Amino acid sequence: MHTKRSPQRSRILIELDSLALSAGERQRIAQALGRPPTPVELYAFDAQWSEHCSYKSSRAQLRRLPTEGERVVLGPGEDAGILYLGEHAGERYCVVVAHESHNHPSQVVPFEGAATGVGGIVRDVLCMGARVIGLADALRFGDVRDPASHQRHVARSVVDGISAYGNAIGVPNIAGDVSFHEGFNENALVNVIALGLVKEKEIVRSFVPPNGAGWALLLVGKATDASGFGGASFSSLSLDAENETANKGAVQVPDPFLKNVLMRATYRLFDMLHARRITAACKDLGAGGVMGCSAELCASGGFGARIELNLVNAAVPGLPPEVLAVGETQERMLFALPPEIVEEALRIFNEEFTLPEIAYNARAVVVGSVTRERRYVLTHHGDTVMDVDIEFLTKAPFVTLSAASTSSCHPERSRGTDAGNALARYNNCSREPLYRRYDSVVRGCTVLPRGYADAGVVAPIPGSRLGVALAVAGDPDLGARDPQRAAEDAVREAVRKVLAVGAQPIGLTDCLNFGNPNKEDHYADFIAAVDGLERAARSLNLPFVSGNVSLYNEDSAGNAIPASAIVACIGAIDDISRIDGGRPDEPDAANPLAEIYP
Amino acid sequence: MSKRIAVLLFPGTNSEEETLRILRDCGGDAEFVHWTHASALRQYAAYVLPGGFAHEDRIRAGAIAAHDAMMETITAGAGEGKLVLGICNGAQILLEAGLAPGTHPARQATAAFTHNAPERHFICRHVYVKLAVEPSRCAITASLPEDALIPAWAAHGDGRLAAREEELVTIENGRHVAFVYARADGTVDDAATPNGSALGCAALTNRDGNVLAIMPHAERDAWNLNHLARLTGKDVLAPSGGSVLFESFVKAVSIS
Repeated sequence: MHTKRSPQRSRILIELDSLALSAGERQRIAQALGRPPTPVELYAFDAQWSEHCSYKSSRAQLRRLPTEGERVVLGPGEDAGILYLGEHAGERYCVVVAHESHNHPSQVVPFEGAATGVGGIVRDVLCMGARVIGLADALRFGDVRDPASHQRHVARSVVDGISAYGNAIGVPNIAGDVSFHEGFNENALVNVIALGLVKEKEIVRSFVPPNGAGWALLLVGKATDASGFGGASFSSLSLDAENETANKGAVQVPDPFLKNVLMRATYRLFDMLHARRITAACKDLGAGGVMGCSAELCASGGFGARIELNLVNAAVPGLPPEVLAVGETQERMLFALPPEIVEEALRIFNEEFTLPEIAYNARAVVVGSVTRERRYVLTHHGDTVMDVDIEFLTKAPFVTLSAASTSSCHPERSRGTDAGNALARYNNCSREPLYRRYDSVVRGCTVLPRGYADAGVVAPIPGSRLGVALAVAGDPDLGARDPQRAAEDAVREAVRKVLAVGAQPIGLTDCLNFGNPNKEDHYADFIAAVDGLERAARSLNLPFVSGNVSLYNEDSAGNAIPASAIVACIGAIDDISRIDGGRPDEPDAANPLAEIYP
Repeated sequence: MSKRIAVLLFPGTNSEEETLRILRDCGGDAEFVHWTHASALRQYAAYVLPGGFAHEDRIRAGAIAAHDAMMETITAGAGEGKLVLGICNGAQILLEAGLAPGTHPARQATAAFTHNAPERHFICRHVYVKLAVEPSRCAITASLPEDALIPAWAAHGDGRLAAREEELVTIENGRHVAFVYARADGTVDDAATPNGSALGCAALTNRDGNVLAIMPHAERDAWNLNHLARLTGKDVLAPSGGSVLFESFVKAVSIS
């Protein structure tokens, strides 16, 4: 028997004072509800209105970027963007692409932080109905010269984490770069990009379709635990060394083994849905957990949702409702399915793919339903612990920020410093010691593996000559001096890399890694970078189809990281036989990077 | 009797798609058999264990998978002379199950593909493997030319053959080392071995020659598109390079 637990008595794992919600935002919530919010509601708004989920500081700027073009099938707005690739055997194929950062988690717990970064980006592509066909990573580390330094530990463990996760799930890592700059000493950057392949007619969307009232909400994957609690707002604050324990608790725990099985089971479910011509909706669980995912899935379809938190499969008994609601446990997906298909979906996950035997209490379980009434309601053993207007929850208020006319850049920090000069040897050598730890050829579709050419290339459709190229770029040294030019150059360099292998650039993604938006000079850098991206993309007539913003990247003295607009370019190849084969870098024990990656 | 080939899916397998594809492109009648359908395995003529991290490689690579229900049928089938090919994690599983090198009468493990040396980490490197026995020593390699040199990818953290000294002698004298690592020109030396493997071993066969446990992935360099630099005017989609191993396997299945 479950004991009844009222929301007031639930144990609070993070002090409510540590929420990222501003006092003004709290007041606004209380006013809208007409009563003080419950603890679960406070945590829910804290996650949903965080910078991480809402892009509240950046939305207005990002709107300036071009997002349309003849290849664009789906622009920014859902978990991943989609570009038309080409036709094969009468089917129209598309490339799905998502690009995200996992910076703060990787600075605190580098192995797990980087691994869960890969895990998250893979789910963003998976939930669009796609097969995941490629990975890339863009890494920015600090001064790694001292073998005992945290920077060295971060640089090594991040690569180990990406390697452990990507290799196990069986997705080739085909592109990426790494740079070292002292400006990243206290805040490394880990950007990850995932590519997927989907037939245009089989794209799965992240909103409940018009006939979805009464559909079941199926939660699938890892048992919910207390890991990753407060992750969304953690990503939206500057790192505070004194808060190390809370910071570590906010980082999720990776399980690539479970993900390997979950991916394949999800492929099976999608195949079954397509065969029966059923349109379902799917979204991966990331920031804001069950609450964030279900609220967005239902709200964007014009519906509400009702979820019984006590039905969520938990790793330990007695988890408080706020953890069940917003905890960011990894390896979970949410599906909205018509009731008649639920039995079959449960069978696929729980019996055919034996999720409960793969990880403790992992499974698929119906946790609630889509409602016509546009409320977002959470219950816990019969108690209503959250009941709010779903529109109000999912539309965070804009934040109006002011930017200084001067930027945060300190050219002297970047050019000609002792550290900068000393790090040049790590920046000017083959990346072979690093990327040889990544499986670049699993799936057997790799045409140009990591290191063979400027861009990676896969031929993802068996029997077809169509190819997909991927490259990333972004120069932190230039970013520290001139954010606008660095952003512009990142676009142009990523495009050049794709052109260099004989592919046609068809789209871009960006991750904007910047300092604290509440500081006028940091925010000025962000705006300058968007200027640069906009200018380069418009001049090349290329759309941004996906992207991410990572703010609050600053050191303990309040200095922003070097402005880092990291750009990926996706290229299409009509006939892979026309491209050049490239050449690998030979292993070299004298390579300076071998000190870090022996 | 049907000559169907089963490609085994363990939880954690990750190289199933390309393995199935190359077997079919080489004319094999191959299909997946899922871990919940272990009882279906009996009806197949031959078995392929693809790469991955079966059962998360808990304890040691392949250690748990060697005790998966599917392995009872594989062990029985190997005893009846059915062909069994294990690639990478599949090879690790065959060693843990005692099917390769198969020198212990009670089917106990006598050797392992264990962590790489000198560095223990995962490596992804293009390699060549060279047939180190006469082709007919192993039924799976019987159609290959002598000294066949096959391109492949080493992509593993645990690919180093390790065994007791006396067992290594047994392995060597019993001609169990089916493939060794080699350079592109066929030279065999320590520098060609990417992982410190004993005897430069890339693959082991059993006493009867119906089981082959190979670490590098020939199926990832098995179509022209995987090696455009070595393209020889043939169709970019056509099997080539590492595909010869699978052609030989499929041929052996057809006459088994």
